[in-house]
Amino acid sequence: MSLRRYLVLAGALLSGIGSPALLLAAPNGQALYEEHCSACHQMEGQGGIGLPLMNAKLSDVSDLYLRKTIRLGRPGRVMPAFQKMSDAQVDAIVKFLRDSSGTVARTFTDEPVVGDAANGEKLYTENCVKCHGEDGSGEGEGTGVTLSRERTFLVMPASISNSGFLASASDQMIKQVIINGRRLSGMPSFGHDRLQESEINDLVAYVRSFEEQERQVEALDEDERPTHVYESPYDFDTTVSNVKAALTGANFRIFPDRYIEQGLVDEFSMNTRQVGVRFCNFNVMYGMLKIEPRLGTVLPCRISILERKDGSVLLVVPNLRVVSRWFNNDELVGLWDRMEETFTEIVDEVTL
Amino acid sequence: MIRRLSFVCLLLGALFIPAIAQADNMLMGRMPLRAEIVLEYLKESIEEHGYTIAHLQLCDGGMKDFGYKSDFYRVVFFGKADEVRHLTEKYPEIVSYLPLKMAVIAEKDETLLAIMNPEALAPYFPGQEMQIQLGRWHSDLVSIFDEVRRETAQHKPIGQ
Repeated sequence: MSLRRYLVLAGALLSGIGSPALLLAAPNGQALYEEHCSACHQMEGQGGIGLPLMNAKLSDVSDLYLRKTIRLGRPGRVMPAFQKMSDAQVDAIVKFLRDSSGTVARTFTDEPVVGDAANGEKLYTENCVKCHGEDGSGEGEGTGVTLSRERTFLVMPASISNSGFLASASDQMIKQVIINGRRLSGMPSFGHDRLQESEINDLVAYVRSFEEQERQVEALDEDERPTHVYESPYDFDTTVSNVKAALTGANFRIFPDRYIEQGLVDEFSMNTRQVGVRFCNFNVMYGMLKIEPRLGTVLPCRISILERKDGSVLLVVPNLRVVSRWFNNDELVGLWDRMEETFTEIVDEVTL
Repeated sequence: MIRRLSFVCLLLGALFIPAIAQADNMLMGRMPLRAEIVLEYLKESIEEHGYTIAHLQLCDGGMKDFGYKSDFYRVVFFGKADEVRHLTEKYPEIVSYLPLKMAVIAEKDETLLAIMNPEALAPYFPGQEMQIQLGRWHSDLVSIFDEVRRETAQHKPIGQ
């Protein structure tokens, strides 16, 4: 870039930053919500991949809980941690949620709830385990509510053992939720003579004890990369044929080949020695889509076979262990860690 | 002098990174319009950004049998031929992620656009060329999202 263009660019940027209006403008909560939150929670907060942000849910939580939830997300449960946002941006989103829903923030004291976690576990098993699961991670496949598919509940039972939830919710908030229930979510009230206050305290103590549990997701090896690249001992055509035979043997359905450059250049210019063998198992694929509806961004699975200028042939296979972790969904991680083993077996068979 | 100006430009540029840059490994946007219409705006914007639509994959066949209410789930594959050719030759690892793919998912009368954030690959390609390439894709995608969002906001049904 020429010096002149640099100066023009710098000037334009400086004129922008020099504008008092730009410098002093408060973050626009609605715009931030639409960009960062609406994809999952929908425009009006009806919920989608993310939980609904309706009045009934917002009115029984504090602003601090909302701010911490935005900051910390829900590790392993789709919602990312928005750690790079400024405090002013987070506050603007919370204010937008309050204004648009007409709700008033609840306030909770920091006073810890003291209870008997052992008795709480017993009560939890009797009253909560059916929805929240033995490990508190919530019941059922997938995360959130819906994405163009049917669900039994409007809201999936919350993962109350999630580290993001536990770090955001105070003891007093958890206690109030147990006492009052959450009608929207189908959670009954356990106060009002159903459980004694001391028993509710025991339950809070047990929920808090989930903090001691570690996440089960296996860490990636330090040298693990998003793709495996193998050199094939065979020529291009034989390698393609071997890949298809191995995939068929593993019960995958194979789609018609697509050249890597197909659709990008005309058929006469296309490099036909670079092909993607695409495959899937429909049952497994739709099972995966129920867990993570955005998998269209990486599916169907593909093994790429490239003939190099020196005649060598490469097999390029995505590393599902790495890719799955980009979705922040522990259920998908578990599934794809196992699928990765299948991929390894296929490549072993092809390159024998 | 030029180095200093570059630094100033980069520094100032960083202050103006669009909000979507702060998102996670997925770039997503919700458009308050039906998927068929959003898809047309999306294709137009992708091409205006210099990319070629390589392929449009129909994913919704049979989805109803698996409990999906939506009948619209498309994936748009797109790229630039020279980029794909050069990168495939020099960085074969990247070929698994080429061409780029954007999912277009209907949710009643709204549409969700989702794509992997190319910058999720950045830690694995520390060289300057790939850092610039991944940053450029990211910047283009943010611009495409913004453009589709603007266009769909201005969309008026026929007859109005």
